[in-house]
Amino acid sequence: MSNEAGIRPYVDTTISVITNDGRSIVGVLRGFDQTCNLILDECHERVYSSKAGVEQLVLGLYVIRGDNIAVIGEVDEELDAQLDFDSLRAEPLQPVTH
Amino acid sequence: MLFYSYFKTLVGKEITVDLKNDLSITGTLHSVDQYLNIKLNNIKLANPAKYPHMLSVRNCFIRGSVVRYVQLPPGSVDVELLHDATRREARGG
Amino acid sequence: MAEEADATVKEPLDLIKLSLDERVYVKLKGDRELRGKLHAYDQHLNMILGDVEEVVTSVDIDEETFEEIVRTNKRMLPYLFLRGDGVILVSPPLRS
Repeated sequence: MSNEAGIRPYVDTTISVITNDGRSIVGVLRGFDQTCNLILDECHERVYSSKAGVEQLVLGLYVIRGDNIAVIGEVDEELDAQLDFDSLRAEPLQPVTH
Repeated sequence: MLFYSYFKTLVGKEITVDLKNDLSITGTLHSVDQYLNIKLNNIKLANPAKYPHMLSVRNCFIRGSVVRYVQLPPGSVDVELLHDATRREARGG
Repeated sequence: MAEEADATVKEPLDLIKLSLDERVYVKLKGDRELRGKLHAYDQHLNMILGDVEEVVTSVDIDEETFEEIVRTNKRMLPYLFLRGDGVILVSPPLRS
């Protein structure tokens, strides 16, 4: 497998992880393995709500189990800085139903 | 291996991936691996107003196990080739 | 000889092999149904279907009368890869 595939190119960058229960966790990827287990540094959860702005919960250093990961997104820091989280309203994501 | 090989031929094409959490992500296929994990570039969500959760994400990695469907570009489906490959795979295991 | 070996059905996947290039019905988890032409499959029942009709059935409860309201959403898709882990059953060629 070439290095281009998989999540190696995301190491030491900020990523956004959508978990199977519909949460969104943002942090710096420090490590990973074959099964998509992740080491996420400086992470925080972004809690979306239709009634209030996005709440950011500080979590710290996490290991996230690969089985519970749906999507890993490469966060574009510039785009991210432009977002106004206080005025964003959205229903929480649906959980993954296998 | 059939679908892994097939998806490799779609690299560079635009596909839409429907996930088991009802998200629908469209983007350019960057790469695929043996688990059918999918990497997309320049992604768009079908309903960004309802799903602003990935507004600052351009490129993403989708775990194969959460994929429900992949909508394929009609021009890139060679039906005869798929039939042959399926029969070969069915015989060889 | 090879033809004969190809046509004998000994296991479930042999039946699906006979459905190649035919329209099949696929029932999926989450009250989803697909009808489409089978172009490819593997041992996991991953498939590629063509000219697909997807039907999603959902049930809402009317807040006042508590009656069940059944909704069906249909869409057509030219070509669809379908992941096998969601498959409940595959039914060979539709006669209608």
